[in-house]
Amino acid sequence: MTDDPPPNPALLPAGLRDLLPPDAETEASAVEALMDVFAAHGYQRVKPPLLEFEDGLLTGSGAAVADQIFRLMDPDTRRMMGLRADMTPQVARIATTRLGGDPRPLRLSYAGQCLRVSGGQLAPDRQVAQAGIELIGHDSPAADAEMVLVGAEALAAVGLRRLSFDLLLPSLVPALLDDAGVAPGRRRELAHALDRKDAASVSAHGGTLAGTLTDLLMAAGPADGALAALRAAKLPEAARAMAARLEAVVAAIRAVAPGLKLTVDPVEFRGLRYHTGVCMTVYAPGRHEELGRGGRYVCGESEPATGLTLYPDAVLRAAPARSARPRVYLPLAEAGHGAALRARGFATVAALADPPSADPPSADPPPADPPPAGHSHEAEARRLRCTHVFTGGLLAELTE
Amino acid sequence: MTAFFATEALEAEVLQPLVLALPKGRILKECGKLLARAGIVPAAALHDEDSRLLRFPTDDPMLDVVRVRPFDVATFVAFGAAQIGICGGDVLMEFDYPEIYAPLDLGIGGCRVSVAEPRGTVGIDDPSRWSRVRVATKYPNIARRHYAARGIHADVVHLNGAMELAPGLGIAQVIVDLVATGSTLAANGLVESEVIAPVTSRLIVNRTALKTQPEAMGAWIARFRKALA
Repeated sequence: MTDDPPPNPALLPAGLRDLLPPDAETEASAVEALMDVFAAHGYQRVKPPLLEFEDGLLTGSGAAVADQIFRLMDPDTRRMMGLRADMTPQVARIATTRLGGDPRPLRLSYAGQCLRVSGGQLAPDRQVAQAGIELIGHDSPAADAEMVLVGAEALAAVGLRRLSFDLLLPSLVPALLDDAGVAPGRRRELAHALDRKDAASVSAHGGTLAGTLTDLLMAAGPADGALAALRAAKLPEAARAMAARLEAVVAAIRAVAPGLKLTVDPVEFRGLRYHTGVCMTVYAPGRHEELGRGGRYVCGESEPATGLTLYPDAVLRAAPARSARPRVYLPLAEAGHGAALRARGFATVAALADPPSADPPSADPPPADPPPAGHSHEAEARRLRCTHVFTGGLLAELTE
Repeated sequence: MTAFFATEALEAEVLQPLVLALPKGRILKECGKLLARAGIVPAAALHDEDSRLLRFPTDDPMLDVVRVRPFDVATFVAFGAAQIGICGGDVLMEFDYPEIYAPLDLGIGGCRVSVAEPRGTVGIDDPSRWSRVRVATKYPNIARRHYAARGIHADVVHLNGAMELAPGLGIAQVIVDLVATGSTLAANGLVESEVIAPVTSRLIVNRTALKTQPEAMGAWIARFRKALA
C-alpha cells in the first residue's frame, strides 16, 4: 500500500499567497495613499460585498469577466452567486440603484480584493486587489481626462513618477468593420489578427479595409504620431467622431499634465469589448505588467460613465519600496514613554517582562559577567527585530 | 484640478539594451542574411553552433542577441525577457501568447503544420465518424484545437521528436507535425493527409515593450520591414 505524504500545511492553492510583515502593512498603507488622492478629488468611497447574485456581476462591463467568476449556490434563495472578479460592475449597480437619486456627475471610489478562476500567463495570481474610481453621469473629454490625471496623481503618491498611459478606442475597429459590412466569420479572424498586431494576417483578411487597418496598426505609439495617422486615415463618420474625441481628451490631459507620457493605440481593444469610448491602460516603463486600466462604458441602461481601476499588487511591485513604521523596543521601566513615541509615528514593542539578562535565549555560552541592563534590552530589541530601543529615557537606533 | 505633473517631476528614462531572441538551428542560418540587411552585426560566435555562449553583443550597444530553442523564443518574448524575437508561426499558434505581437511576416523558414497518417489507413478510416483520436505531436494545443473544431476529442501523446515512429509502433493513429518537404514522412510510411496551416517565421515583439518604448521598438520594426522590401 502506498500513501501520499500528508500535504505541507503551508501549501496554498495556486495563485494565492499570505502577505507577511512588513509587506501586509506597506500594502495597506499604499492602498490608503491611493484612496486618499481619490478622496481628495471628491470621489466618495463605497464598499460592495465580496459575494452577490451572479447576474449583478455579469451586467455591463462585467460580461468581460464572466468566465473568471467563482460561483456557488445560495442555499437560501437557490440562486447562483458569484465572487466578484471585478468591482466596476458592483459600483455601477450601486450607482444605478441605491444611489440612483444622487446628483450627477457621481464620483465614487472603492478598494477591495477580487478573485478569479485562473491567473494569467504573466501574473498567476487568482486573488487580485483593486483600487479605483468611477465617474458616472457625464460624457465629456474632461471626464475622460480626469481618469488619467487623478490616476497619475494617485500613482505619484506612492512614488511612481515614470508612467505611461496608453489611450485606446476599442469601438473604432468595430465601427470601421460595420461601415465596410465585414461578414461575421471574417470579423473574428480579423479581430484576432488585429489583437496580435499581425500585419500579414490583417492584409490577408482585411479586404477593402486592409490599407486603413494596416496604417492604423502601424500608427500605435507616441500620441502625436498616432493622432496624425488617425487624422490622415479615411474614416467613416462614426469613427471620425471617435478620433476627434480622443484628440480632445489628449488636449485636456496635456493642458494639466504636459509631461505625462501618452501613447495611443487606435486598434487595440483587448478586454474592452464592453467599453464604448476612450479607454486607457497604465504602464510603468521597464515593468512587464499593467498597473491599471479603465475607460468609458454605459452604466445601467443608458447612463454614460467612465472609470479607472488600479491594481495595487502590480503598483507595489513597480513602486519604490515603502518603509514600514520603525519599531521601538520599550522595556517595562520605560512604559510611560510609549504614548509619546507612538505619537511620533513609532510602533512600540512593549516588554511583557524583564528580559532574562543572565540567561540569554540563544545557544551561545552565557557571558562570564552579567551584561549591563542597557545591553540586554538592546539584545532583546534585536531578537524581536526592532529598529530602535528606548532605554534610560533615550531613543537609540540599532545599527547593524 | 491642480497641475501635479510638472515636467521636472518626471524621472529620466533609464535606457537599457533591447534583447533580440533568435531561434537555434535551421532558421538561424536564414536569419543571418536578414539581420545583415537590417544592419545588425552580431558577434561572430552567434553562428558558431559549438559556442557555449547564450547572449551575444551586437555592433549596436543598445541591442543584444540571445540564442534559444525555437519554442523558447516565444516564451522569452512573452515574459519580456527579450523585447524582440524571430519565431515560427507554428510556435505562435501553439502557445497563442496574448503578450506577443507579431507585426511582420519575414517570409523565411517556410513549411506547414500538417496531419499525417499511415499510408494504409488513408481513405479507409472516415474521420467524420470519430469521437476521439490519439495524436502524437509536439503541438498539443494545435492538435486539440484542430480536432475540437471537427467535433473530435484529441487524446494527445506529447512527444518532442521522432513523431513519425508513433503510428507504426501503435501509440497513435495520426501525427500532427511540421512538414517541410515531406520526405521524412514518406520514409516512415506516412502520408500528409491535411494541412492545418502554412508556417513562416515572424518578427515578434513584447506587447508591454511596444507600449512603453514605442520609439525604440518602432524603429526596430521599421528596420526589419525595410530589410524585407
